[in-house]
Amino acid sequence: MNQLSTIPQFVWRIADVIVGGVFIYAGAIKVLDPVQFANDIDNYKILPWTIGVGLAFYLPWLEIFCGLALILRLLYLGGLSILTALLAVFLGATIAAKIRGLDITCGCFGHASQHWNFSVHLALDLLLLVALISLLLRSERVFRSA
Amino acid sequence: MVRQVLIVAALAFVPGLGQAIYFRDKVSWQSPVPASEMVTVAQARAWGGNAIWVDARPDNEFARDHVPGALSLNEDRWNELLPQFLAAWSQEKKVVVYCSSQSCNASREVARRLRNEAQLKNVFVLEGGWEEWLRTNR
Repeated sequence: MNQLSTIPQFVWRIADVIVGGVFIYAGAIKVLDPVQFANDIDNYKILPWTIGVGLAFYLPWLEIFCGLALILRLLYLGGLSILTALLAVFLGATIAAKIRGLDITCGCFGHASQHWNFSVHLALDLLLLVALISLLLRSERVFRSA
Repeated sequence: MVRQVLIVAALAFVPGLGQAIYFRDKVSWQSPVPASEMVTVAQARAWGGNAIWVDARPDNEFARDHVPGALSLNEDRWNELLPQFLAAWSQEKKVVVYCSSQSCNASREVARRLRNEAQLKNVFVLEGGWEEWLRTNR
């Protein structure tokens, strides 16, 4: 925790913009093809189709708004918390699907990610999760000291 | 923080709802495949010789048993099997794709690729798949 406070402010801002940008990009790609995203969600075989379709319309916008919250620093903690929770759930679902032997396409970054293998997905998601948790820890610290 | 979470969640709901209304005719909320692209075993059988049956299951399942006359076309060997299928296909025929059961994805994917990549029309997914075919043909 103390190590986080030694990192200069501008580095945190860059991290905000990069992480926020990644989620805006991921959300925008899925907004363009919600039917494909509904199929991607269905491939996990966790939720009924109807709920998957609802999520396919909702989650991409949630990613975009949370990404904007990070970049604009408006409703910052809210956006950060949602993204951290979303990514944690997604990682759990991906690992569970792999264990169950499902051949899934996560659809996280549309067709760009279609041919990534499981290790690449996992590495990228873990990296994003670490970044989000670091931002969350740091912002809580700032919030408490204010 | 909870208040912020609720505000962001509510804000995202608005365009999501708008998009769901805009796409209301493009996606079915009941089934992954629109009703117009599904076919029952009885309907497909009624097409008789006008139908080409396509087995989208893996090779080993196809080898074990399949709908009589069905051609194997799965995603594992797509490039290899597609020419064989196209050689048997003709424009007036209806294509009935099936996989193992109601919940499998392979038939949907193969049907989608036949429509989008091979530019075929009259491609249908069999309701209930191989399990349903077996049940109605016992």
